[in-house]
Amino acid sequence: MRRNSLTLFVGFILLIIFVLLLFTFQVRQTEVVVVTTFDRPTRTYSEQPGLKWKWPYPIQKVYRFDKRVQNFEDDFEQTYTRDGYNLLASVYVGWTIEKPAEFFNSFPAGTAAAAEPTLKSLIRSSKNAVIGRHPFSNFISTDPKQLQFAEIEKAMLDSIREQALSKYGIGIQFLGIKRLGLPESVTQKVFDRMTAERQREVERLRAMGEAEAMNIRSAADRDRNEIIAKAEAEATAIRGEADAEAAKSFAVFSEHPELAVFLLKLNALEQSLKDRSTLILDERTPPFDLLSGSLSTNSNRPAPKTP
Amino acid sequence: MSDHDHQHHDHDHAHGHDHKNRAHPSGTGEIDLSRKKAEAPAPEPIPAPVEDAGSQALSEALRSSFVIVKIVMVILVIVFFASGVFTVSSQEKAIILRFGKPVGTGPEQLLGPGLHWSFPYPIDEVVRIPIGEIQTVTSTTGWYATTPEEEATNSEAEPGPSLNPAADGYTLTADGNIIHVRATLRYRISQPLDYLLNFVNASNVVQNALDNALFWASSRTTVDQALTLDKVGFQEKVIARVRDLVDRQNLGIVIEQAEVRTIPPRQVKNAFEQAFAADIERRKARDDARAYANRILSTAQGEATGIVNAGQTARTRLVQAIAAEAKYYQDQLPHYRNNKELFAQRLRTEFLSRILTNVEDKILIPERRDGKSREVRLQLSREPQNPVDPNQQAAQQQK
Repeated sequence: MRRNSLTLFVGFILLIIFVLLLFTFQVRQTEVVVVTTFDRPTRTYSEQPGLKWKWPYPIQKVYRFDKRVQNFEDDFEQTYTRDGYNLLASVYVGWTIEKPAEFFNSFPAGTAAAAEPTLKSLIRSSKNAVIGRHPFSNFISTDPKQLQFAEIEKAMLDSIREQALSKYGIGIQFLGIKRLGLPESVTQKVFDRMTAERQREVERLRAMGEAEAMNIRSAADRDRNEIIAKAEAEATAIRGEADAEAAKSFAVFSEHPELAVFLLKLNALEQSLKDRSTLILDERTPPFDLLSGSLSTNSNRPAPKTP
Repeated sequence: MSDHDHQHHDHDHAHGHDHKNRAHPSGTGEIDLSRKKAEAPAPEPIPAPVEDAGSQALSEALRSSFVIVKIVMVILVIVFFASGVFTVSSQEKAIILRFGKPVGTGPEQLLGPGLHWSFPYPIDEVVRIPIGEIQTVTSTTGWYATTPEEEATNSEAEPGPSLNPAADGYTLTADGNIIHVRATLRYRISQPLDYLLNFVNASNVVQNALDNALFWASSRTTVDQALTLDKVGFQEKVIARVRDLVDRQNLGIVIEQAEVRTIPPRQVKNAFEQAFAADIERRKARDDARAYANRILSTAQGEATGIVNAGQTARTRLVQAIAAEAKYYQDQLPHYRNNKELFAQRLRTEFLSRILTNVEDKILIPERRDGKSREVRLQLSREPQNPVDPNQQAAQQQK
């Protein structure tokens, strides 16, 4: 009896497993699922992961798609800007299966690869249209007002988002420019221009260097002269002060100017005959007049001569 | 499993029917099963009749094999549940998907390092997420084509005159020039659930964002800024753009670091080098001029100080000299008043005697007898040793 009930229990478990396998299916966190009843889509699951019920195989079928953001890059292709420039551009998009039923209708295979050709043609037409509306200076510019890089990306995104969602159930999450380029022949012209620009730059730098150096030097010379001139002026002023001070002392001499002049002369004479001088004197010059025995005082004639 | 069940039935059956059908001590499973079904409601236990040795041996054998089967079953069940044990290393996190749905809510979904248990597949599924390690993406969309051999040997083929858009990458600067840019971005996964569950290939999204950022940053930077003047600013623009994009796309990553390298195209490399050399020359000329200015100015300062000091000295000297003279004058004044002539004579003689000791050569010219003036000829020699002609000197000294 005990064994029999165990048997029944095991059998029951197996039955449950079997039934579960037939009547349930899993929806993973990363999946969206479309359930078809007699090949007609009846239910979709995208936000509710877990165990779900269904009728067994021929009645209901389960189709799973990846819910996550998929990447797609289109080709690096030539297109024209509004002002007639040849521009090569490629963009990338991140897309998801937003409406599983529509997606399933459009791409029964349910794989990303199946949706890519459609996505590609959508992107291409949008890219060409948007780039054709903008001049080249909207793509690259030193002027922030001209530059509309982000706006261009947004315009492309806006123009495909609606269509992709309503027609194919594809949600475009983001879109960005992946590459920009110029046709091969144009690159050579750009190089020529760059070389010419560099040569001008070399000239400019040289001239600038010379001018700078000259400016610095002449400024330095000017400053130097100024400093010296100032110093000289100061020194002159000091000398003037000295003369003024000396003038005060001259007042003392006013009583007997002839004595002062005499003393000054003596002093000046002494200064000038300090060393290595030769004197040629008249014999009558005192005190040499003693040699001729006279007492008279005559004029003296000193003739100083410095070698 | 079902085999075991059959054996089980077999065994049961053998016991119950031995007394009725001894000619068939055992049979095929199918027959037994059908009989069992028919007889299941029959009252039990039926008292065991005497069994012959053969059937007893058989039932013994079946009993022991049933025990073995039971043990195996228990082991299988244990193994089944034990297979759900797994470890998570410190470099990763894990989440359990039960019937496809993450177990727990919010941060509880993430299992940290250690030993964990889940139901075995297909009930539960363990998804591991690398988290600790730094992820790296490199963008070469803006770089010229290189073959792996060239990369390995670090050599480069001679570039053609133009860039082939199919192979060579480059970016366009704001002033319409071409530059090559290459970037490496390092990032960490901060929101593993977003990173793993929302993107088929999240690193590819990061890569695209980096590519986009290079073109975005180039489009608003001049060639000089990108290559020389403001490399750091360019790199910051790239990082800011990538950050902006990954935030908007909810990638769940944190950017750790980015390296951006910019070079001029190889086709115009020489021109750039010349410009670079010219710039260095310019700086050198400027630095030289500055050095000259510094030197000349400090010299001038010195000179100026000298001039002022000389002025000061002259002033002091003059003032003191005058003061000294004034004093001397005042000292002499009383003597002068006493007798002017004598005073003058005395002073003059004193003075002469004083200076004559200093003077090297002294020549006295005597008065002529007839009272006429005498003619004296001087021959000035340049030799400092012989200031006066020796003959003349001798002649005069005779007098």
